[in-house]
Amino acid sequence: MKKKELFAYLLLPLLAVALVASGCGGSQGTSSGAGGNTIKIGFLGGKTGNHAHYGIETLKGMQMAVEDINKAGGILGKKLEIIEGDHGSNSSEAANVTQKLITQGVVAIIGDPTTGITKLTAPICQSNKVVMMSAGAVGPGVVEIGDYIFRDCLLDSVAAPAVTKYLAEELKWKKVALVTTTGLPYSEGLTSIFKPALAKYGIKIVDEQFIQEKDTNFSAQVTALSRKQFDGVIFTGYYTEGALFMKEMRKQGLKQVMAGGDGLLGKELYELGGNAVEGSMVYTGFAVDLNRASGKTKEFIEKYKAKNKGALPDMFSAQGYDAVMLVADAIKAAGSAEPVKFREKLAQTKDWQGVTGNITFDSKREPIKSPVYLLEVKNHQFVVKTVIDIPK
Amino acid sequence: MEGIMRILTDPYYIQVLTLTGIYLIAALGLHLITGVTGQFSFGHAGFMSIGAYTAALLTLHLHTPLILNLLVGGLAAGFAGILLGFPSLKLTGDYLGITTLGFAEIVRVVFINMKITGGTQGLAGIPKETNLLLVIFVAVLSVWCMYCIQNSRFGRALMAIREDDIAAEAMGVNTLNYKVKAFAVGTFFAGVSGGLYAHLMQYLNPFDFGVTRSFDLLNFVVLGGLGSIPGTILGTTVLTMAPEFLRFVNKYRMLIYSALMVIMMIFRPNGLLGGVHIKDLRRVFTRRRSTEMASQ
Amino acid sequence: MEHLHGFVQLLPQQIVNGVTLGATYALIALGYTMVYGIIQLINFAHGEVYMIGAFTGLIMVTVYKVNFFLAMLAAILVCMSLAVLIERVAYRPLRNSTRLAPLISALGVSLFLQTLVTLIKGDPNPLGFPEVIKDTVYQLGVVKFSLVQLVILIVAGALMIFLHVTVKYTRVGKAMRAASESYEIANLMGINVNRIISFTFALGAALAGAGGVLVGMYFNSVNPLMGVVVGLKSFCAAVLGGIGSIPGAMLGGIFLGVAEVMGVAAGFGTYRDAIAFALLILVLLLRPTGLLGRPIQRKV
Repeated sequence: MKKKELFAYLLLPLLAVALVASGCGGSQGTSSGAGGNTIKIGFLGGKTGNHAHYGIETLKGMQMAVEDINKAGGILGKKLEIIEGDHGSNSSEAANVTQKLITQGVVAIIGDPTTGITKLTAPICQSNKVVMMSAGAVGPGVVEIGDYIFRDCLLDSVAAPAVTKYLAEELKWKKVALVTTTGLPYSEGLTSIFKPALAKYGIKIVDEQFIQEKDTNFSAQVTALSRKQFDGVIFTGYYTEGALFMKEMRKQGLKQVMAGGDGLLGKELYELGGNAVEGSMVYTGFAVDLNRASGKTKEFIEKYKAKNKGALPDMFSAQGYDAVMLVADAIKAAGSAEPVKFREKLAQTKDWQGVTGNITFDSKREPIKSPVYLLEVKNHQFVVKTVIDIPK
Repeated sequence: MEGIMRILTDPYYIQVLTLTGIYLIAALGLHLITGVTGQFSFGHAGFMSIGAYTAALLTLHLHTPLILNLLVGGLAAGFAGILLGFPSLKLTGDYLGITTLGFAEIVRVVFINMKITGGTQGLAGIPKETNLLLVIFVAVLSVWCMYCIQNSRFGRALMAIREDDIAAEAMGVNTLNYKVKAFAVGTFFAGVSGGLYAHLMQYLNPFDFGVTRSFDLLNFVVLGGLGSIPGTILGTTVLTMAPEFLRFVNKYRMLIYSALMVIMMIFRPNGLLGGVHIKDLRRVFTRRRSTEMASQ
Repeated sequence: MEHLHGFVQLLPQQIVNGVTLGATYALIALGYTMVYGIIQLINFAHGEVYMIGAFTGLIMVTVYKVNFFLAMLAAILVCMSLAVLIERVAYRPLRNSTRLAPLISALGVSLFLQTLVTLIKGDPNPLGFPEVIKDTVYQLGVVKFSLVQLVILIVAGALMIFLHVTVKYTRVGKAMRAASESYEIANLMGINVNRIISFTFALGAALAGAGGVLVGMYFNSVNPLMGVVVGLKSFCAAVLGGIGSIPGAMLGGIFLGVAEVMGVAAGFGTYRDAIAFALLILVLLLRPTGLLGRPIQRKV
């Protein structure tokens, strides 16, 4: 009796497998991406959830690129097709979504725009030999995951030193307060890049404060800063906390402005921060600057405006666009949509002209991009303060 | 049959199934703590993370074999369970729950601030050593262990504690001792599950083991049926798969999920298979068979 | 040494910061403590009631252009009705089931409200709060007070005194205390227990609603997930003070707020969230029922 019972227990997990089998059998058929009538490219990102804005914009850019390519006859006689993988900004689901995209036969996955999820999903792409091109993962330790992993965003390790140089030489900053959002990989990574850069250009860090994502009360940190002398704040976190931090500074009578990376780039910065963020500086790899934009970039901006009721494209849509174009050009150059083949061509990309500027992949497959745009908040808007060219 | 073959060859389904198995192992641990012994734990994911980081770090730095690392990960989690258990299991009900929740949060913050765990950048480059077969093996083994525990003298003592701890104490059960033991075993399972998780995902981040994950595990155990192994299996399977099946209503998925939690509790407060044991299932089958035979 | 000197110099100001933060925790903790005192349930949805209060206040101020106090009144009314509804739908049917069932139900409600508000709003990003109270800063010796801080302290203090008086000296307060001892006996004494429980939920929600508006205004940020962390920490505050005890919740809130601010000021900013929980565990181990809690009587 007892043995039978035990046997039934052991069978239960198998029954569960069967249950799923009957549940999902007979859904979509899978076809290998290189073999079908279309070349499939996956989009990985959150269309909902915390980072929905990044995901939605990346996807918009990708769709524009696919449209342009297909209008011009596709690649290798085939049309390009986007398969959407929305993980709702949820890291525990991202792995499943990635696996699903690969099952559906994509040759490349564009995304995720955040570093955390890219690092979580890149090993899956690597072991399945599918190219991953992140359009936004700026943190360290991404392309090291494997030779199928790429990114086309402006790296903080390129931009932050250039911006620091500008702060030291042009704005004559001598002393700064450094504010890091702990628990946020992006912010801790950026802080670790800013520190040596500040030292190199002779800017002293007079105080370091730590805040947390989703914190709203920064009174303790700002009070601690209030007795120190400094020229400005280096803020390595996201816009929400940046705006509220500056508000608290003004509340306690501190007048300094802040400078930070593209994590601060979002209309929420001035919507939440109001007058407190006037003069704050943010760098980015893409900005709408019609004076300097190349023909390609201008065309992209116009098309985006026409599709989005006059709204201007941001970094994420532009990088999404470039990501698809980079992959498409590599496929063309390799004459094959098999990741094993076009991956090599992609790694050799040099002096490639995209809508976000000039891109070269170095020997470690890291993108070297130029220029860096330094934006400033003026009258509740981002305006281009200066454009810094990165020497090759 | 064809369906099963497809699933066993399709990497997406393999991934989902592997994850289900991994969660099942952790959920079984929680089943022992909450379902069998009746002690609240809102921090099970914290113990999972201890096992995950321990196993992953052993693999990365000492290159010891996976099975050993999983065991050590489990033991580390179990040890943490004992460490927390001795002082806090004197607390009852919600107090214990909130203490475990706090403990898991502290563990998370400590991992964030440690160098060796990669801090917030996470721990990357863990080799992929977990596969579906291994997970099924461990899951089946866990179910077997759990079954044996539940039907042993030890298990019956735990159930006595759940039903009435004062009466159990009066019957000569050293309740604190038994509670700590249950906690240790339960958290051991969480640790093993964490180790498997680490070697499946190849990347660990403290944020993956937050309060949400702990409450998810609690949901598996409670919605499936408190105190029932088949219930825990059903709960884990359905709730891990549900988000995948509900993908077509993506936007409203969490809304449906959360509403279902409330509705389920109102109509079946003991979970789907609350109090159901394998014996009962068999009884249903045999009864049906006998009526079939009678009609023939 | 220089660091220590700076720390001491700023101490009074940091205490003011801590007390203000603590007052907001206390307002929310009171809701947890009252509900727990009467039905022994951690009302996980309480944090979301507070979030809805903040949104109601924001909508009143931006869309209907009413003044601050009217907005707070509206938020209080909305929160009270919402809490009574939640109790009726999600908790009352479960009053006689296992301890875990209402807890899961509460988690479900909490998740449901978060998702619902996120869906309606479109994204989980925060909205700013317009400046409804002119942000004047008063210098009082070495400390600075902003007007908003003063309003928070005064409103929170007044509400807590009102609550204390209600529970301690009115008939309905007496009924609440009776119901928290035993439903059956309270019932036999002619108390409508269901109505008293609804009243308790409404009272707690009123404080949370006021807290939502105050916090939204003070920190200038309202978002669909704002109730999660604050809710958890306020619950900690309630447990710290001794759950079920009203002065305990106030004490616990202030204690937690000051401890957190001090921790950050002393340079442990990276451990901020752990501070609350570490304190909680420590206090529970030394005094298992919190600072002002009554010892649990175990009935055989």
